[in-house]
Amino acid sequence: MRMWKVALLLNLALLLGIGGGYLWWGRRAERLEGELARARDAQALSRSEQEWVVRGVVRAVLPDAGVIVISHEAIAGFMAPMTMGFRVASPQIYDGVQVGDAVRFKLRGVAPNGVVIALERIP
Amino acid sequence: MVRYTFVELNAAIGIGIRWIHLAASVLVVGALSAPLIVGRSPRATAVAWEERVVGGARWLLLVALAAGLGTLGYQTALVEGHMSAALETAALGRVLLETRGGHVWLARHGLLLLLGAFLLLRGDISRRVDWLATRGEAMLLGLVALGLLGASGHAAAVEPGTALAIAVDTLHLVAAGVWAGALLPIAALMAAASEERGADVRPHAVLGAHRFSRLALIAVLGLLASGIWSTSSHVSSIAGLVGTAYGRLLLVKLALVPAILALAAVSRWRWLPALAGEATAVGRPALQRLRQTMSIEAALALVLLGIVAALSTTPPARHLEPTWPFSYRLTLTALEDAPDLQLRALIGSQLAVLGLAALVAAFLIGTARRAIFAAALGLGGAGLVLLLPALAVDAYPTTYRRPTVTYHASSIVDGARLYREHCAGCHGATGDGDGPAGQGLPRRPANLNAPHTAQHTAGDLFWWLSHGIPRGGMPGFGEQLTEDQRWDLVNFVRALGAGGAARALGPEVEPGRPRFVAPDFSFAVGPMPPQSLRDFRDRRIVLLVLYTLPASRPRLAQLARNHQLLALLGVEPIAVPRDATPDAIQRLGADPPTLFPIVTDGAQAIVEAYSLLSDASHVEFLIDRAGYLRTRWAPQGPPVREVNRLLADIQQLNEEPAGTPPADEHVH
Repeated sequence: MRMWKVALLLNLALLLGIGGGYLWWGRRAERLEGELARARDAQALSRSEQEWVVRGVVRAVLPDAGVIVISHEAIAGFMAPMTMGFRVASPQIYDGVQVGDAVRFKLRGVAPNGVVIALERIP
Repeated sequence: MVRYTFVELNAAIGIGIRWIHLAASVLVVGALSAPLIVGRSPRATAVAWEERVVGGARWLLLVALAAGLGTLGYQTALVEGHMSAALETAALGRVLLETRGGHVWLARHGLLLLLGAFLLLRGDISRRVDWLATRGEAMLLGLVALGLLGASGHAAAVEPGTALAIAVDTLHLVAAGVWAGALLPIAALMAAASEERGADVRPHAVLGAHRFSRLALIAVLGLLASGIWSTSSHVSSIAGLVGTAYGRLLLVKLALVPAILALAAVSRWRWLPALAGEATAVGRPALQRLRQTMSIEAALALVLLGIVAALSTTPPARHLEPTWPFSYRLTLTALEDAPDLQLRALIGSQLAVLGLAALVAAFLIGTARRAIFAAALGLGGAGLVLLLPALAVDAYPTTYRRPTVTYHASSIVDGARLYREHCAGCHGATGDGDGPAGQGLPRRPANLNAPHTAQHTAGDLFWWLSHGIPRGGMPGFGEQLTEDQRWDLVNFVRALGAGGAARALGPEVEPGRPRFVAPDFSFAVGPMPPQSLRDFRDRRIVLLVLYTLPASRPRLAQLARNHQLLALLGVEPIAVPRDATPDAIQRLGADPPTLFPIVTDGAQAIVEAYSLLSDASHVEFLIDRAGYLRTRWAPQGPPVREVNRLLADIQQLNEEPAGTPPADEHVH
């Protein structure tokens, strides 16, 4: 065989090898991503109504809006720690609660919507 | 301990193996590219030379593969921590399959094996296209195998910009392979052509030398550019260059470069033009000289590769704390507040520039060259003698060490406590250098509030704290205080110095004003996890409010009402009660609702550290996104201020172009 053909074939083989390897790797990455997405979907599907018990500090009570604003710790599977308003199930919940109170409250709902169903002051 | 002695004892072996592998890889590439550079010739001497060079490449390839196995074994022994691991299949497999270096090794040696098989093919290359394909393919395989080395060196650890760093290193390797590797084969061609019976190949050799010279110029320029680029990314400071093992190896390498460049220049501008001269009297002797020069160049290049091998096993300077080797350093800050030195430096620098101009003139003007040259040296020398001592300040081995304890409120508070225990006796309770115990000392204790504190590096302060200042009567605390405690003190003194200067900081943002690094701090609101000032870096402007009730209540209410607007403008207010009570939120009350962080945990350290910057009962600082203090508003009376003035400052900060270096790289 002529040498230029050998060199050409060798380069083709190398290109095919590298390209094939790259494609295989890309396919694998794609498959892994797909698995990850499916796992995430599965988790989302299981998001039926849940309850969380969370600690926080009351920052504002807005009775007109039916909202209580709380600086709270991280809520597993729901949200990171932040200061935000929560709707309350009934106005009695913030009876006697004052701004600055440390509280433990029960949140019920399907993320990202939760309603405070119970709240108690902690010393 | 055992592992370290092992590493030390075997470092030389490791460097040696790497050197052999690197040199053989470079020489293979050179041997395979030399025939392509010179071009094809049917003359008997040229054919014999090509046979010899390609035959040599086969042997060198064997050496490279054997040494490559050695580098793999050495790397495995290094990873596993014992020498016998180099022969354990399982350990070798782990390194090969589970490390990046192993993957690159596999790819490279696969290519080298392929190259070996290709070189063993004995096809017919009498036709031009076959010859080109054969030599080109061999060179390509060798070049790719050599260039891939860039993907497993220090460049692979550069972040960000890994891909660029690898590309630059690859370019460096490829240029080195083509140029340094081809020196010896082409020198051999010159030798063959300079002999009596090599007359048939002489025109071809002269042509080849010219072609190589053109290519070498490009390759050397590429080497210089990529070398400078990666040096700056691996070293990043003069202290790193002279103060670390990596930097000093690099200096040795850099010292070899001018020698090689000088030889290359002699080849190009002296011997190359002479090649075309009359054969016996000029041409052949010139070929001989060219061969000699190129051989010496090649030898120097091999030494240089040895240094590269040592560099590849040495951690880059940017990962190390440099040890400054001189007792002085040169800095422009030496001229601040020193008019006599300023004048001297000015005259000195003018003389030096004149000297430089005269030097250029000496090369350009044909007549009286010697006199001008002497004058240039005299002027330049005198200028430097005037200039350099004016810029010199004392320096110590730790001068360029960076604090290992961050500039954080809690460190400053710890430092303040240590200061009261160990330093206040001489330096005074407020740092003015007027303590009762300092009265009888040979030199008055330093006033730590004076602006000159900022001229010393953190490493200078660390040295004095550790070893004292014998002629001033200051004792060293290296025995009494841990390293972290000494850094706490450095942070405190730095905050003290900044505190004195920061009192000049006004309530309005002034562009171009000196910026003060805001000490980092941690805080928590209720049960929320602690946050730190650093978390806001690059994201939010922070309005730090140190307040005292009840006087601050109206101001806090005003900020609370404007909270949404502030948040929209990218500002996070953080309110810190000066009395640091856990029930701060309760005490602030419900009306109006205050939703920004009121610090309930960590307030004490913040108050104590920031009190160095102002002790007013209500004080507000604006901290920009790069982490610098930009305004300080410390009203004497009740804290009343139109919110629009704050908004104007924020607007100004928002309009500033990004790109200020982040605050903690700004070490004094």
